[in-house]
Amino acid sequence: MVELADRLNRLSLSASAAISALARELREQGKDVISLSSGEPDFDTPDHIKQAAWEAIQRGETKYTNTDGTRALKEAVRDKFRRENGLDFQLNEITVGNGAKQVLYNAMMATLNDGDEVVVAAPHWISYTDMVVGAGGRPVIVPCSQNAGFKLRAEDLEAALTPRTRWVMLNSPSNPSGAAYTRDELKELCEVLRQHPKVLLASDDIYEHILYDGLEFATPAQFDDEIKARTLTVNGVSKAYAMTGWRIGYAAGPRDLIKGMLVMQGQVTAGASSVGQAAATAALNGPQEIVRERRDAFQERRDTVVKMLNECPGVICHKPQGAFYVYPNIAGTLGKKAPSGKTIETDEDFVAELLRAESVAAVHGAAYNLSPYFRISYAASMDELVEACGRIRRFCESLN
Amino acid sequence: MNIVAPRMDRIKPSPTNAASSRAKELKAEGRDIVGLSSGEPDFDTPLNIKEAAKKAIDAGDTKYTHLNGTPELRKAVCDKFKRENNLDYTPDEVIVSTGGKQVLFNALLASVAPGDEVVIPAPYWVSYPDMVLLAEGEPVFVTCPQNNSFKMRAEDLDAAIGPKTKWLILNSPCNPTGAAYTEAELREIADVLLKHPHVWVMTDDIYEHLTYDGFKFKTLVEVEPKLKDRALVINGMSKAYAMTGWRIGFAGGPKALISQMSKLQSQSTSATCTISQAAAVEGLNGPKDFIQSNNEAFKRRRDLVVKALNACPGLHCHTPEGAFYVYPSCAGCIGKTSQGGKKIATDEDFVVALLEEEGVAVVHGAAFGLSPHFRISYATADSVLEDAMVRIRRFCDGLK
Repeated sequence: MVELADRLNRLSLSASAAISALARELREQGKDVISLSSGEPDFDTPDHIKQAAWEAIQRGETKYTNTDGTRALKEAVRDKFRRENGLDFQLNEITVGNGAKQVLYNAMMATLNDGDEVVVAAPHWISYTDMVVGAGGRPVIVPCSQNAGFKLRAEDLEAALTPRTRWVMLNSPSNPSGAAYTRDELKELCEVLRQHPKVLLASDDIYEHILYDGLEFATPAQFDDEIKARTLTVNGVSKAYAMTGWRIGYAAGPRDLIKGMLVMQGQVTAGASSVGQAAATAALNGPQEIVRERRDAFQERRDTVVKMLNECPGVICHKPQGAFYVYPNIAGTLGKKAPSGKTIETDEDFVAELLRAESVAAVHGAAYNLSPYFRISYAASMDELVEACGRIRRFCESLN
Repeated sequence: MNIVAPRMDRIKPSPTNAASSRAKELKAEGRDIVGLSSGEPDFDTPLNIKEAAKKAIDAGDTKYTHLNGTPELRKAVCDKFKRENNLDYTPDEVIVSTGGKQVLFNALLASVAPGDEVVIPAPYWVSYPDMVLLAEGEPVFVTCPQNNSFKMRAEDLDAAIGPKTKWLILNSPCNPTGAAYTEAELREIADVLLKHPHVWVMTDDIYEHLTYDGFKFKTLVEVEPKLKDRALVINGMSKAYAMTGWRIGFAGGPKALISQMSKLQSQSTSATCTISQAAAVEGLNGPKDFIQSNNEAFKRRRDLVVKALNACPGLHCHTPEGAFYVYPSCAGCIGKTSQGGKKIATDEDFVVALLEEEGVAVVHGAAFGLSPHFRISYATADSVLEDAMVRIRRFCDGLK
């Protein structure tokens, strides 16, 4: 038996992956499972992007690329930041990885010393804390209440900062809550950071384009040069362009940091797939209407799901302004008995019993460090969503 | 502000990249540069593989896959191990990653604790010691001299193994020498390992299919099946299938190790690109005749290069069994002065002067841990090689 390094014991397999696997298993047993646990759009990659990938293959773009991305893709990223965010970056301030995940992983590995602290607002994407721990750092979790719209408040950020704080991790719109920060809210957080000039800021903007109700997207690097000089702005093509499988993420930030991340990338994987990069270039440079059309479809689903969940006894669902998740509170169901006879004591019990009784797969809030909640991904068809919400209601009504 | 963490100081930027960057600079200045420093075949990916990628794109295989690779690809990998190496692995004993590089990274980061030793025969692929250092292990080098055809002697391996040895990394055929171990030579290595049951072995077989003169490739575990429960057998699509840009590597090994590698991969990148995975399935399951015809070209080029180099005063070039590299000694040039007035004290001086004065880009042996040598990649057109050989000859003739 191979002895594993300690650093591995600090990591866990992602909970949403575990739930998805369980749902797949039940489906294979013939159960009619509706999975609302996935973190990807149900749409397919747009045709013009697919076409660009095929053309790249035919042109023989099948060789190693630069470790930090092809020049064409880095230029497309530069233009995207300028066009959509009003941000100017040089090409050597931009890097490309195998998904935004790798970009963040590289950043943590390249910067964290043992014991360095990273402030993470909960609920949060579980990979943030796992990456921090894997790199020897210490996550400092700041719970964000439903009353505050699941957003980090300036005073809570201030209280969480210590001399050992290396990074603050922001994610707007957020996985798993869908919470999106307004420009003013972000500004307040940046004002706090102004008093802590050594703290770096990672802004995970992967859900940028999935934003509703006319809310205008904002990202911290836009505020001023001082903040920009210590901000890593992370983004990717996965969510906006329905390209999760292609594995292309990117980031822009201070040159020293980008250079350190490049060294890590060179050790972990070298460059991302050449074909994925060609597809991503077409996505960023091409027509953007489809992004807005899909956002409108998501918004309609959000409205339906929030309304139906709020009709379930014991469930209170906040209406978020972005991403394709809702994060309903299930405090009102705790202590009740499920049809199996099991008492629901935690949100994990809730999702397990929901899966068992009604074959609906969702992820428990504990996996995102804020309970008692569960996460629903509404990146599914309206028919499925209506059916699933009906089942959840039936489940909640069956509790006693 | 000092951004990067001390672990980054343990890794050097890749010297092969540094060499090709300088070559690129000179090219941009309008110089006529012949690049022989690249580690990839000049052939394009075969058409049937490209078409399989197209089919996957059209079918909408654009979503997250199973972390360890699609079921189809893992099955194709198991079948490959059985068919080509007579090794039995089940799908949960294999993992697919973003290149053979990530397989190694996952394995080393997952298993090496601070102070653990990893035995690396020198000369070696630069990434091996870098990854070991990044995992806070200690590389222990075993010199493989030219007069032993750049292969590790069993007694040298035995002497290098101590109580802290965790792994041996064996790479046959080898980058940068092209040396490939015969079955009898592997038998001797295996016997040493059998004496040291605490030592694990990873065999990097990425150049498996690139051998010449009827050399019969064997992998260590095939020669000694008793090693299988402490071996990681690494391979990938890059070299034999001319698929470097697609980024698909894979490995077979004990489930306990594979599952920990998977955990690490879930935090750093997730699964690799779906389109590339579909292409790899076709590569492994489809026709292989192009490998034979590519190899005929490689062998012809190897012979051309070895002959020409041995005609250069001060150089001596061994004829290797495989890969697409030769690793000539430049011992006879040390102490001389080039036409351009550069004193040649090291192999690095040799390659720098060769690039500046004759426009030929190669990589110095010090980068691979054995001097005074340099590495030539002959994965380029015959005419380019002929031109390069004329230049190297002229350069050597000019040394005083």
